[in-house]
Amino acid sequence: MIVIGASLRRRTAALSAAALLGLGLSFAGASPASAAGVGYVRLAHLSPDTPAVDVYLSSVSGSMATQKFDAVGYGVVSKYLPLAPGTYAVAMRTKGAAADSPPVLSTQATVVEGKAYTVAGVGKFTDLGLRVIPDDLALPEQGKAKVRVVQASVKEPVLDVSIAGGAKVAGGVQFASTTDYQLVDPGKWTLRLTPPSVTTAATTVTAPLQAGSVYSLIVLDGKNGLTAQLRTDATSNGVPAGGVDTGAGGTAADPDRTGLWLTFGSAALLVVLASAGLLVLRRRHRVPTQL
Amino acid sequence: MVRSAGRVVRHRTPRRRTLTLVACVLALAAPVFTGAATLVGRRIDIDAGESTWIVPHRIDLDLPGESGQDTPPTRLRIASLGVDTGLESLQVDPKGELQSPKVYDEAGWFAAGTVPGDPGPAVLAGHVDSRTGPAVFYKLHELKPGDRVEVQRAGAWLTFKVTAREHYEKARFPSAKVYGPTPLPELRLITCGGEFDTARHSYRENVVVYAVLS
Repeated sequence: MIVIGASLRRRTAALSAAALLGLGLSFAGASPASAAGVGYVRLAHLSPDTPAVDVYLSSVSGSMATQKFDAVGYGVVSKYLPLAPGTYAVAMRTKGAAADSPPVLSTQATVVEGKAYTVAGVGKFTDLGLRVIPDDLALPEQGKAKVRVVQASVKEPVLDVSIAGGAKVAGGVQFASTTDYQLVDPGKWTLRLTPPSVTTAATTVTAPLQAGSVYSLIVLDGKNGLTAQLRTDATSNGVPAGGVDTGAGGTAADPDRTGLWLTFGSAALLVVLASAGLLVLRRRHRVPTQL
Repeated sequence: MVRSAGRVVRHRTPRRRTLTLVACVLALAAPVFTGAATLVGRRIDIDAGESTWIVPHRIDLDLPGESGQDTPPTRLRIASLGVDTGLESLQVDPKGELQSPKVYDEAGWFAAGTVPGDPGPAVLAGHVDSRTGPAVFYKLHELKPGDRVEVQRAGAWLTFKVTAREHYEKARFPSAKVYGPTPLPELRLITCGGEFDTARHSYRENVVVYAVLS
């Protein structure tokens, strides 16, 4: 009995594997040659005492011509660049330095499809580093906006962040770090940035936020105290429910359309395999009752 | 003397009252990439007891990169497929589903959503076929990464580059991925694909082409 059971189990396993293979084929048929899409990278200079730099972005695999951003100064955040998934090298050189001169700093960033990154020069000039900060483009809950704080002030290297008259967002946010994204109600949003010293005044920042969008609020050293910039990381404007009915079937029988026959073929294969699997399962169930 | 986010000023002659002064607007020069921060006002609290002036900062930020124009798109051109069509505006029905264009030979855009050329995913939909034959997006599934898609808006043509093409079962359509936030001006071109469900009078899949403003 045990032996029979085991052998049946093996056959069932083999058949399930075959069924899974069929399923895989079916998916392949349903999505012929779906492309890889893009990820997004932007560059930021968040080091207050570091002079302007030239930033170079190049693909490690050489699939893209090197892009150069001239004289990027403190507080500058570039637009996002859409990039094919892969690994990219980011190098910072002193403004005007030759493109083949050794960079002051360099790092690598791996770009995944649909994901976004901010590659930022952070820290003070003496311990300057490049950090790859992941940005979150995911759709906020319905009717909400998403915002985080990027702390890039040296004058106030530690800040408590709270919503004015409301919840604490994050305590003790260190220079060169970010808070998590917060889900907030859209509209005029007021944030309090409080240094730990009781004799130092808080700074309040108000920003208009829209539902469905994702923001980074960048806190920087200003001429007097702090200043801030609001970046829209990503925007959406209304999300319809599901797909669209866009066809009346007049060409449904046309084999030329969207790899249809492959889908039919693998679906048929799946049905055959699934019924075979079901048959084995039934027989297996019957075995103990016979004994 | 304490270092401050605002400014802490030692006051030589202590006063016994609290004063609030609002200084005039102090506009900082907008940085090149804007998202301009404007220092709107400075509240100056004079607290005599501690003989310091604490100067809290108030910073009002504008929404970055707003064009302020809602000029609708007028035409869609996909040279590699021979598509050159006007665009009707599409709405969502009471269930929130996007309605298809009324005319089989014309594409439409989701008018309550992103305007093509503005940041975000602008949604354009077109029929794959009519009851009798091919419609405007019959060949949409042939688009491949790198192909150009052009949208006319305010008399100018905006060029988008195809980055991906996906096929989704309507029953499992990833709305958050297709319509979710994007950092750049993008397009989502949608039509039908897969098997035709004669009972529901509808194709089982959607073909979605992703494109980014180049």
